[in-house]
Amino acid sequence: MAAINLTKMDKEIIQKIIDHGGKGITKCIQCNACASVCPVAKAGFPLYGRLLFRKIQTGHFEEIIEDSSSWACQACNRCTEICPRDAKPFEIVFAFRRIQANELAISTSAFTPLMNLHATGHAVYSEASKELRQKVGLPAVPVTSIANEKAQEEIRTLLDNSPMGELGIF
Amino acid sequence: MAKVGVYVCHCGSNIGGVVDVEAVCKHAETLPDVVVSRQNLFMCSDPGQEIIRQDIIGGVVDKVVVAACTPRTHEPIFRKVLEGEGLNKYLFEMANIRDQDSWVHANDKEGATAKAKQIVASAVAKARNLLPLEDKYVDVTKAALVIGGGVAGIFSALDLANMGNKVYLIEKEPSIGGVMAQLDKTFPTNDCSACILTPVMVDAGTHPNIELLTYSEIDAVEGYIGNFDVKIRRKQAYVDWEKCTGCGACADACPVRTPNEFNAGLDNRGAAFIHFPQAVPKKAVIDMPNCINCGGRTIGSEQKISKKTGKPILAPCERACPAGAIDRSKVADPNGEIIDVKVGAIIVATGYKVMDKDKFKNLAPDSPNVLTALQLERLISATGPTGGQFLRPSDMKKPHTVSFLSCIGSRDERHHTYCSRVCCMYMIKQAKLLKEKYPDLEIYMHFMDVRTPGKDFDEYYTGAIDMGINIIRGRVGGIDMLPGDKLRVMGFDADLASNIEIDADLVVMATAIELQDDIKPFAQKLSLTLDGSGFFKELHPKLKPVETPVEGIFLAGCCQGPKDIPDTVAQAKGAAAAAAVPLAQGRVKVNPTISEIDREKCSGCGICEPLCPYGAISMIATDAAHPRARIEMTQCKGCGVCTTACPSTAIMLHGYTENQIMAQIFALTA
Repeated sequence: MAAINLTKMDKEIIQKIIDHGGKGITKCIQCNACASVCPVAKAGFPLYGRLLFRKIQTGHFEEIIEDSSSWACQACNRCTEICPRDAKPFEIVFAFRRIQANELAISTSAFTPLMNLHATGHAVYSEASKELRQKVGLPAVPVTSIANEKAQEEIRTLLDNSPMGELGIF
Repeated sequence: MAKVGVYVCHCGSNIGGVVDVEAVCKHAETLPDVVVSRQNLFMCSDPGQEIIRQDIIGGVVDKVVVAACTPRTHEPIFRKVLEGEGLNKYLFEMANIRDQDSWVHANDKEGATAKAKQIVASAVAKARNLLPLEDKYVDVTKAALVIGGGVAGIFSALDLANMGNKVYLIEKEPSIGGVMAQLDKTFPTNDCSACILTPVMVDAGTHPNIELLTYSEIDAVEGYIGNFDVKIRRKQAYVDWEKCTGCGACADACPVRTPNEFNAGLDNRGAAFIHFPQAVPKKAVIDMPNCINCGGRTIGSEQKISKKTGKPILAPCERACPAGAIDRSKVADPNGEIIDVKVGAIIVATGYKVMDKDKFKNLAPDSPNVLTALQLERLISATGPTGGQFLRPSDMKKPHTVSFLSCIGSRDERHHTYCSRVCCMYMIKQAKLLKEKYPDLEIYMHFMDVRTPGKDFDEYYTGAIDMGINIIRGRVGGIDMLPGDKLRVMGFDADLASNIEIDADLVVMATAIELQDDIKPFAQKLSLTLDGSGFFKELHPKLKPVETPVEGIFLAGCCQGPKDIPDTVAQAKGAAAAAAVPLAQGRVKVNPTISEIDREKCSGCGICEPLCPYGAISMIATDAAHPRARIEMTQCKGCGVCTTACPSTAIMLHGYTENQIMAQIFALTA
C-alpha cells in the first residue's frame, strides 16, 4: 500500500463530525476499549472503534463514507460507558451515520427498520412477541403506537418534517 | 571453644521455596562447635532478630552465623544485634544461600539443599576462627565539593551551604546554570525556566558559604571520605574577572564569529563573549583557540605604538573594555591555575548532553530545518537567536507544518537501549507552546508510545490532543529533502496500519540524553564506575540511589541517569543530605576489615606497593637497613591483593585471615 500523505488529506470531515454531534472525535486516543465491547465488532463488520475514528481524524472521508458498519450500531452505548477519554464514541458513530444519510449512503439493511418506523412507530416489531407477552401476563399488543392510529399519524408527521424527510426516502 | 549459633532464614519463599531449610538446620547441628541451629521465615524481622538476641543474652552462643540473603544489605542489620548485646559485631558470618543458591538453582531443589549445607558448613568453619575487631575513626574536613553547576549542583550546594558547610561549587563553563538555563519553559506547568532558575543561581553566587569556581575543571582527586585532596584547574579566561563588570563591550567589539554553544549552534558569538545574559557570575572570557589576535596582539606580546597616531595599538576587545579588564600584554598561562582544596565529601552533578543530529544520516541532518529539541528550545526562547520568534533557520519564515520525532537514539540497539525519559514530555511542551501561540500551526508528533509517568503529566499530554495536536503512533524511518525547503517525513501510523508521509517545514528530533564524550577519564579521576547505559553507577539502584562505591562521593541529577527537573532537584537535595552526614558527624568510621603489615616479617621487598589499586601502601624508611611497607588505613579497602602477593606472608587481611580462609576451604572440600 502506498504511503498516505497526511499533510495532503482533507480534514473537513472532522469539523463535519463535530457539527453533527460527535464532538469527542478529537479526544480519541486510539486505545480501542470501545471496540472490545462493541456488537458491531462481534457481528463481524470491519469499520468500528478506533479504526473508524482514526480514519475520520486523518481525513479518509471518501474511503469510509459508503461503509455499512456504522448501520450495525445497536446504540447500546457500552462504548460511552467504557471510554477513558469520555469521547462518547456512540455520538461519533451517530454523527457519522447522519453524514452518511445526508449522502444517501444508507445501508440496505437499514431501510426496512426505517420504513417500519415511518409506518408503525417501531423500527423493529415482531408478531412473535405476542405469545411471550401473554405468557408473562401482559396484553398481547403493547400500549404503544403499534395499536394507535393517531400516534402513528403523529410520528409520520414528525418524520416527514425531520431532516430524514428531506432525504425523500419515505 | 567457640559456641556457634546457626540461624537459617526462609526469606519467605525465596529460600524456603527451593532449599529444604529443615534439613540444612539439622545438618548445621552436626558441625563442630555448633551449639544451636534455628530457623525463621524472616530472620531479619524483629522476631527473627529476637531469637539471636535471646541466645546471646542467655550465653548460649558467642559466634553467630546467619544463612540467608546477601551481606551487602543485611550484614549491618545482624551485626547490630551482636553489638546491642555486647558481643563484638565482627564475630558474625553470613552464608548467602539465596543469591548464590536458591535463586540460581531454583530448578534443582535437592542440589540446592546440598549446596546450602556446604555454604553453611563453610561459614561455620570461618566463624569458629573469627577474632574480634575494633572500628577506627578519622576526623572529617567540614567542607564539600560540588562538581557541576547545573540545577542539580546548585541545589546540592545551597542545601549543604545552608547547613553551615563550606562548599566549593565548580563549573566548567563560565557561568553556572547548566542545561536548564537553555530551556524556554518547563513541563507540566509551563514555568519560564530562566525565571525560576535565575534567582537560585544568584543565591548560589552570593551565598557566604559557597565559593563559586566557574570556568574550572577537576584536575585530580586524592584521599578518602572525610579527607579528599582536590586539585581544581581554573581555566585561563584572559579577562581579569576582578575588574570585569560583565558589560559585554568586548563581546560586541570582537570580530570573530564562531558557533554559539549556548544557543546550540543556531547563531554565532565572538571569541570574547559572555556565556548568556543572566550568567552568574556575569564575566567575559576570551576563547583563545578561536581568537584571531587582532592587530598582532597575541597574549604576552609587547604593546606597539602607532607611528601615525602615537597611541598604543590595541586589540578591539582591549580597546572596548571600559574597566581595563583585558590587557593582552600580560603573560598568561594557557593552562590556567591550579587551586588546591580539602573537602570531606564530594557530589558529582556533571549533567548530560543530548546526542547530535549528525549521528542520524537517514533523518536529513544537513537540513538547517531539522533541529534537535534543545535547538528548538533556544529558537523559541526570548533570549535565543530570534528573540523568541518562531522562524525556521533556512529562510527565517514562520513554519506552517512541524513534525516532532521521538526516541531518536533512545530505545535503539544501535545507539542507546534506554528510554531518555523526558523527551515525550518536553516535546509535548514544545508542541503545546507553539500551538498556543500559533493556532493555525499543523503539528504532527510521532511516538512509539507516549510516556507520561509523573504528577499532572498525562493531563498535560491529553491537553495537547484536545488542542488539536496530531499524535501518531509509530517511529519515523527517514526524511527526504524536497524542493522548496520542504521535508518529507516518512513514518508509520500503527492505528491506520499504514505508511504515512508528512510534508513538514520544520522537523524537531528528541535526541537521546547521554553523558559527555570525556566522561570516562573524569570518572577515573574519582574512581567511579559507569553502568551499562553509560551513566554513573549508584551504589544500589533502590536503597542507595545517591551513594557511589566510593565512600564520600555522591551523585545528583542526570549524570546518574536521565531525569526531569523535579527529580533532579529531589536527588540533588538527597545527595546533599547524604553528603552532610559525615560532615555533621565530624569523624568517619574506618572499616577494620583491612590489611595490616607485620613489620617483623616484612622484608621490604616492595612487591606490594605498586599492586595496591588504592595507593594505600608506601615504603617507609626504618632504623633497620631496609625500608618497610606501611598501609594507610584510611585508603585501604581490604581487597587483599597485597596479602596474597606478599612472599613473606607478612600482610594480614583482618576478617579474612589465612586460617579463616583455609578452614572455609577445608569445610567446602570435606
